[in-house]
Amino acid sequence: MHRLPTLLSGIFLVFLISWIGLVAYSATQMGRLTPVADADSGGSLPPHYNGQAIAGQRVYASEGCIACHTQQVRQSSVTSADMSRGWGLRPSVPRDYLRDSTAFLGNSRVGPDLANIGSRQTNAAWHYNHLYTPSSVAVGSEMPSYHYLFEMRKIQGEQSNDALHLIGTAAPPAGYEVVPKADARNLVAYLLSLRHDYPLPEADTVKKPSATPSQ
Amino acid sequence: MNLSSHIPCDDDHDTSESRAVDSSLRLPVLLLFGNAVHWLIIATLISLVLAVKMIAPDFPSLLSGLSCFSYGRLAPIARDLFLYGWASQAALAGGIWLAARLAGRPLVGVIKTSVVIVAIVFWNLAVLLGSLAILAGYSTGVEWLEYPNWASATLFASFLLIAFWAILHFDYRRNERAEVAQWYLVAGLCSFPWVYGTANLLLTWKPLQASAQGPIQAWFTGSFLLLWLLPVALASIYALLPRIRGVHLHHRNLATLAFWGILFLGGWIGLGRLIGGPIPAWMSAAATVSAVFLLIPIFIVCTNLLGSSETEREEAKGNLSLGFLLNGLYALIGVGALGALASLPLVSSALHFTSVSEAIYQLSVFGAISMPLFGLLYTCVPELLGRAAWCKTLAAWHFWVTIVGFWLLVLFLFLGGLVTGLALIDPVVTFRNVGSFAYPFSVLECVAQTLLLIASLILGGNLLQALAGNYLFPKR
Repeated sequence: MHRLPTLLSGIFLVFLISWIGLVAYSATQMGRLTPVADADSGGSLPPHYNGQAIAGQRVYASEGCIACHTQQVRQSSVTSADMSRGWGLRPSVPRDYLRDSTAFLGNSRVGPDLANIGSRQTNAAWHYNHLYTPSSVAVGSEMPSYHYLFEMRKIQGEQSNDALHLIGTAAPPAGYEVVPKADARNLVAYLLSLRHDYPLPEADTVKKPSATPSQ
Repeated sequence: MNLSSHIPCDDDHDTSESRAVDSSLRLPVLLLFGNAVHWLIIATLISLVLAVKMIAPDFPSLLSGLSCFSYGRLAPIARDLFLYGWASQAALAGGIWLAARLAGRPLVGVIKTSVVIVAIVFWNLAVLLGSLAILAGYSTGVEWLEYPNWASATLFASFLLIAFWAILHFDYRRNERAEVAQWYLVAGLCSFPWVYGTANLLLTWKPLQASAQGPIQAWFTGSFLLLWLLPVALASIYALLPRIRGVHLHHRNLATLAFWGILFLGGWIGLGRLIGGPIPAWMSAAATVSAVFLLIPIFIVCTNLLGSSETEREEAKGNLSLGFLLNGLYALIGVGALGALASLPLVSSALHFTSVSEAIYQLSVFGAISMPLFGLLYTCVPELLGRAAWCKTLAAWHFWVTIVGFWLLVLFLFLGGLVTGLALIDPVVTFRNVGSFAYPFSVLECVAQTLLLIASLILGGNLLQALAGNYLFPKR
């Protein structure tokens, strides 16, 4: 260890062990997972995202949602708390992330897990209201409001179909309406398609959904 | 409180050699340290804003409608500024200075020096523009790698140009038997390109199928701290602490074991963030095993450096560098103990995803890594300037405010995480209630973050007056 080549080869070999174990193994094993056929719909699982949801992933990334939200239901061998909280019917497995461009697994749960938000909150209007004024649909929420994903504009003729139904302090002045911008539409399309509720060979959904999923 | 009486060079080196090293590296190292400290100030300022946002989500209310003030955009900027602006740059500064000083070899040649300086400028441009890109919504969305591809590629190239010479110094050193610090420097400086290059290549430049990304992200975060930043921090402790104290390393033969142990385990430690996650079961087990085994090298490092029975030199008492180095070691013990505890599946099921993870992160990145770098900074700058440049009052204030702020922050994060974690495993407690339990601790975290901001401002002021030659703050 007193000559550079010796030291460097030692360092290289030691680095190589964890690199093979985590990087090369993941790339060659988990990186080559394929979708499985879905007997019910004739399609494949996990299902494809639609174009809007794919654009929504970019919004999820650039707004840094991962700072407070995870997207993983943990294995029942470690904890069943995630599932009993109503965050999923089964643990998440690598194949669930097959269609994602980035795996937003996350490391912090200031907000709830979002792996199955699309099956917990299926209503787009709920999501729009939640993004615009979180406390209007989730009392006491610590989430900041995302006003900049929306546009407040003067009502021309009749109110738009996609205008948010806002009440109280969140409501716009009379004669004005709040409508989602493209980023908000894409983000909500993505959130609605976040659901690991289909069966996979390695993760069957045996457990029935709990009665009222907690927010 | 003598900061400059200990010159980290071997006894058989004469001081003219050290002077040659210092004068050849003065500009690059001061440029790196100066930029590092100003990024530290900005990072702690944003961290304070983020801490306030945890208790008042729409703070500051006038700007809450602006995209660039949203929590999700500021949070990665604060972390990346801390990791790439401050910690990596301070580690580079300390790394190239220590490597040259321990080897007794200056950076020769105008071309080499200019290349290093240009690379430093590009590094800082990449950090600045990369952060602005995140602010404008161009984040990659991969944790710790949010900078757009052009910025991360610039960081990668700049690093190679700055660190290459320092690695070569190992083979051209004047001391026959390599010092422990010199191994750590080579390991740290070699691992950044390896770790940062692999992770960017597979996650942002040419992303793999997302089903494989989780373990690679985990490998990157663990390796970045334990294979790049921690080795340089340990090199500063190994190089400076015995010299300041005037004692010898204890059980130097065991230091080899600790060195290889940390390098071997460092790559696996990051898996702790995926225990129970969508990864093969053996990886969850490897996370626990590696976190527990990491206690062995940490124990050896502490025995090496703290287990001395010799009497200290009188002037070591009250030395600020020594204070920072020791606190770095205490934080390292905290990282080992808390990390091992939190990696046990039963504990992880409750505490993972809470601010306990953040407490461990702060213990490593602000404690075990930044504290030794502060110690190195306080020793290095007077050497480079050739005079006792620090204002002792400001330095003492910086030390104490940092120590108090840091340990309070870790304590509050830990307690807040403990409370929320225990509530989270009980499905009867609604998620909204869990959040309200954390509220008092979030308020206290703001206090600790304020102290850390004050501390970094003091350091910035002191560095400024040191560089400006005492014009700004005349000595009384």
